[in-house]
Amino acid sequence: MQRSSWLGLAFLSPALIVVLLFFMVPVVLTGFFAFTNMSTATGVKGGEYVLNASGLRALADAGLPAKTLDQIEGAGYRVDARGLEALAADFGQPIADEFGKLHTGEVFAKRRDVERALKGLRSNPIRKTRDRKAAAELFKRSMMNERFPTLPAFEAALEEAKIPEADRPLITKVAYTGWVWTAENFGFLFSLESTWQYAKNTGIYVVFTLSFNVLFGLFLAIATFYLPAGQASTFRAIWFLPRILPPVLYIVMWRWFTWDTGFISTVLSGFGVAPKNWMLDTEFHAWTTIVLINGFVGASMGMIVFSSAIRAIPSSMLYASEVDGANRLQQIWHIILPQLRWPILFITSYQTMSLLTSFEYIYLATDGGPGGATEVWALAAFHTALNNYGGNLQYGLGATYALLLVVIGLLASLAYLRLFNFRNLLIKPRIEG
Amino acid sequence: MRISIENFTKAFGTTTVIKDMSLEINSGEMLALLGPSGCGKSTTLFAICGIHRMNSGRLLFGERDVTRISSQQRNVGVVFQNYALYPHMNVFDNIAFPLKVRRDTRADIERKVKDIADLVHIGELLHRKPAELSGGQQQRVALARALVREPDILLLDEPLANLDAKLRLEMRSEIRRIQQQTGITAVLVTHDQVEAMSMCDRIAIMDQGKIMQLSSPKEMYEDPSSDFVAGFLGNPPIAFLEGVAAEGGMRLANSEVTLPVPAAINLPDHGAAVRFGIRPEFFQPDNDLKIKGRISFVETQGREELYDVTLENGSVLRSIQSQGGSFKLGDNVNWGIAGDRILAFDAAGNRL
Ligand SMILES: Nc1ncnc2c1ncn2[C@@H]1O[C@H](COP(=O)(O)OP(=O)(O)O)[C@@H](O)[C@H]1O
Ligand SMILES: [Mg+2]
Repeated sequence: MQRSSWLGLAFLSPALIVVLLFFMVPVVLTGFFAFTNMSTATGVKGGEYVLNASGLRALADAGLPAKTLDQIEGAGYRVDARGLEALAADFGQPIADEFGKLHTGEVFAKRRDVERALKGLRSNPIRKTRDRKAAAELFKRSMMNERFPTLPAFEAALEEAKIPEADRPLITKVAYTGWVWTAENFGFLFSLESTWQYAKNTGIYVVFTLSFNVLFGLFLAIATFYLPAGQASTFRAIWFLPRILPPVLYIVMWRWFTWDTGFISTVLSGFGVAPKNWMLDTEFHAWTTIVLINGFVGASMGMIVFSSAIRAIPSSMLYASEVDGANRLQQIWHIILPQLRWPILFITSYQTMSLLTSFEYIYLATDGGPGGATEVWALAAFHTALNNYGGNLQYGLGATYALLLVVIGLLASLAYLRLFNFRNLLIKPRIEG
Repeated sequence: MRISIENFTKAFGTTTVIKDMSLEINSGEMLALLGPSGCGKSTTLFAICGIHRMNSGRLLFGERDVTRISSQQRNVGVVFQNYALYPHMNVFDNIAFPLKVRRDTRADIERKVKDIADLVHIGELLHRKPAELSGGQQQRVALARALVREPDILLLDEPLANLDAKLRLEMRSEIRRIQQQTGITAVLVTHDQVEAMSMCDRIAIMDQGKIMQLSSPKEMYEDPSSDFVAGFLGNPPIAFLEGVAAEGGMRLANSEVTLPVPAAINLPDHGAAVRFGIRPEFFQPDNDLKIKGRISFVETQGREELYDVTLENGSVLRSIQSQGGSFKLGDNVNWGIAGDRILAFDAAGNRL
């Protein structure tokens, strides 16, 4: 390799590290989580095996024979070391010893049988019926609600309970409380009606905010271009302010602005309009607020980029269009806008990416409300995985949302890149290599 | 269409670029605005087409006062120094633009663009983008765009400055041909005196925002009103001799030599400073008004040879002679001035 190539690599290395650390690793992790069913319930480490009432119901729904279900629920009464220990503790060692000697390893189907056996002890019979009942209970062996820390332990228990082999895998799966690899997230996600709602919301959000950003940015750039320099820079500075405001402060201002005791309500109450929360009272208001909040910030970027692109147009070209007879609108339409084609494409693609993935302003302003009307895909991923009302954080499902977003973003980037490259194909290199 | 500029003043902020200029341009004539860089030629041109507003003064096209009329309404065609073609439009659309914005019909536009493209000989380039054209072709497109809507006036801002020498020669006659063919009133801005002299009916020579002289090229060359004009026209340039008025003529500075003065020239009082301007073609070996010097520079220009002769007092005279003289650098020579062609100026530079 040439020396200059090594030099190039050396210059690249910081960028490569950053890309690896802050892009590839999160994406890979997201991809990894997306194929699990991790949640608060499963934890992120391995889990135990427990069968509880809801698990049993799930098994019944899955078509497990009633007999097997009975076996799980009542595996019978087994005289084993554990039961004997408990017996010794409650009724004395001699009873336990004798009972152990006579019946260790035996399994009784019914409590009555155990009671009979206890009654039948020669030297230390339990006389009271109530005591015998209690003692018999100590040997009851059910799989219900018992925690098995490992798979072998659980399988041994199934074996002991004489559960048919065929039913075991299903039972094991239901009983497992830890996370497992699964591809079901994707199907599940698309079966949810709310997913389509998120997609629709994201579409609304991106299309409207983007249009507002680009059009308003263009408007500002062109309008200030025709203003005297001093006024123009004042206007640009004012429109730039929202961008340098801390987001939380900016949103607090908006909330105050739209609050039911806030600015709009206060002003309108003077005209007899009942105060209300102007941001969250209707979906339309929520969306308007969201688009404006993002738009005022986003437009400033377009404004700056478009302004400098307009300034780069040689003034003689604008003069030429004037002496050619073009009025202002024709000048804008035929001369300025065509020359802004690439800046517009750039801003559009760049902001599509950031709008697809950004939700911080929505989170701070409406948090997806009212009633999920402004819940966009990225916010849904966040809510599902990290900030759920129900408290059950579904990391796996959330990661699936995020992964799909990454895929959409990559596809969109590729599409835009093609557009940009297409331009390069059209324009020959300025410096021939 | 006649153009009348009356008492035109233009200032950018606090700097006054043009002060109280008046200029009359006849209908159908081609006038050159000639002057050194920065003297206000483009400013004047931009005022005529309405890109710059006049601070004071009046501008008339024929009888029509256009001082307050926007450039869109003036019907002036302009060829800009860098051509200012629209890079995103092809040649056809560039030329068609003035017609398109005034909403001519499609058929009209096509016909007119074809006609004008043929006139400037670019008929086969209509589908190219400006970036795919040579300088001369761009220049022709700019000319076509300026002419296509049959403007009353054509303004050209240093149209040949960006072309190479050969192309410049070609476009010079080309522009003149088109101007004469269309009979349009044209103003050509240039800093190149050859261009001005070869292309235009009249020349307005400018310096620091003022018009120094306005006359035909020949008249201006032979009868300059000031030493600035005399110095600006002619290549190789005129040489100046400094001196004072004395008995019988001008006594050269630092010298005992006195040059006699033609009868037509009124010298000031004795002792007043005067300058003589002597063009190279009037300082020749055979002329009668002899003066001694030594050849300090020789330049062969092909057909002709240019000599610098340093006089005994240190002044330099230039001589241009046809090929064949056997003079060498360092030769002492005794050449002569054509006495009746001496141009005399007073201390302020005005012609005597
Ligand atoms: N837009 C402007 N703002 C300020 N000064 C200008 C502007 N245009 C021209 N000038 C000044 O006016 C003077 C004349 O300029 P110009 O007419 O372009 O000269 P030229 O004769 O070379 O075409 C120059 O000194 C230039 O610096
Ligand atoms: Mg100029």
